[in-house]
Amino acid sequence: MPNTTTTTVARAGLLLSAVLVAAAGCAAPSQPAEGIMLAPAASDAAATPSAQSPGDTGTQPDGRDPNQAPTSETSVIPDPAAIPVHRALPAAASEKTPPTRLVVAGTSIDVSVVAVGIGAGNEMEIPDSVDRAGWYRHGPAPGDDAGTAVIAAHVDTLSGLAPFSELRQLRPDTQITVERADAETLTYRVSEVELMDKDQFDAAAVFRRGGKPQLKLVTCGGEWLDGRQDYSHNVVVTAVPD
Amino acid sequence: MRKSIYTVSALGFLALGAAAPAQAADQEAQLSVLHGVPDLTVDVWVNGERTLDDFVPGELAGPLALPAGEYTLAITAADAENADDPAIGPVDVQLESGGNYTAVANLDAEGNPTANLFTNDVSAIDAGKGKLTVRHTAAAPAVDVLAGGSAVIEGLSNPDEQTLTLDPGTISATVAAAGTTEPVIGPADVPVTEGTHTIVYAWGSLDDGNLAVAVQNIEGLHSAPGAVPGGRSGAAAETGPDYTSAAVAGGAVLLLLGAGAAARRKLAIRATK
Repeated sequence: MPNTTTTTVARAGLLLSAVLVAAAGCAAPSQPAEGIMLAPAASDAAATPSAQSPGDTGTQPDGRDPNQAPTSETSVIPDPAAIPVHRALPAAASEKTPPTRLVVAGTSIDVSVVAVGIGAGNEMEIPDSVDRAGWYRHGPAPGDDAGTAVIAAHVDTLSGLAPFSELRQLRPDTQITVERADAETLTYRVSEVELMDKDQFDAAAVFRRGGKPQLKLVTCGGEWLDGRQDYSHNVVVTAVPD
Repeated sequence: MRKSIYTVSALGFLALGAAAPAQAADQEAQLSVLHGVPDLTVDVWVNGERTLDDFVPGELAGPLALPAGEYTLAITAADAENADDPAIGPVDVQLESGGNYTAVANLDAEGNPTANLFTNDVSAIDAGKGKLTVRHTAAAPAVDVLAGGSAVIEGLSNPDEQTLTLDPGTISATVAAAGTTEPVIGPADVPVTEGTHTIVYAWGSLDDGNLAVAVQNIEGLHSAPGAVPGGRSGAAAETGPDYTSAAVAGGAVLLLLGAGAAARRKLAIRATK
């Protein structure tokens, strides 16, 4: 019953393959308002200074001296040489190379790309403008060594279709071009087009931070649900580096 | 995680959403060690074994992956022959399965060397946010932490901590005696990174004029957005069987559920009349 079925245009082409998507428990956009900037999220109650009084640890119940080194074959303590030690300094900010333009061959999709984050209701922000798409800036960027770069846009306007409405019909191997700020242009090939039920949205798979590099283009699709003022599904296009 | 099968009757009872966060009972604990006692090079001993050699103030070691259980930590002068005459400790600490800890050698509020074991929050952070914890491990009275001129943490005493969930960015932070704004530390740039728990330690001694900050980062705690909205008017709506043809089984169930819900709504309306 709680399965997600998605249509898949596999690289091999054909047929209806039902894809089981593990529901990651992230479909509910029911999160309350975002955490308030600089508001304490927890008190100091978590500080747990441990036993500080020396003398209560002189001997173990068995009378063994706790400071006596156990035999090496039973030791669970890592070799000192294997323990990383470094100055406790702030991490250097990691610079990502943002995508700036997205072109999908054989379609009208030729849009500028802007960096976006999280909007109301724990949803990914989507640019309002019809000729813009949003890149999820908290996740990997196109060209990163690992993980999925996600670019999303509206499927429609208030009265008609938006360019991303063409994602649904993309054929395997369609070329996708991503231009970047001060970096070489990347090309990808479509490997899969999925229709993913919004009630079973597999956020962990779409917004994957590790694993082999991929590009995912996301928009809406399926039926329009009047009661929700939303579509029933997401269209998720997966592309791999060319 | 994902499986393609070649039939339409894909009835999978996958409950991974519930199973994923469950931790194996025998998961190792992660222990980091921070040296926050000025002017003292030490060795750190775990269960009587020299584990950190010539450990220098301001250094962070680890994390060490250790089986859950009780451990005895002791800190001696550098190159001591054994842990029999520790400068700090010995202290017994209990490390839980899957727990993440930082043992800190530091000064207490009065300036005496001591050790504290902090439990690090490694729970998932809301998508788009970072977490910042400040720990007072310095020989100094209660402090406020100020960002942009106003106190964001007030009255923090050694060895307490406080955690904030913040938008990513760089905070220019200062530490001042509680109720004042004159910096005793900083201003220092503290990066708040999405999906990372940044832990800042104030250490050293106010009287000796060597207060400083140390920073520990625990990465990989990000969450994914809950959804991707993408529709405004329904102009791109698909109808008919073509888009749900692979979803017959699930779709039928959804339709039934939907009908049930509608019926309940009608009943509810009737009941309120």
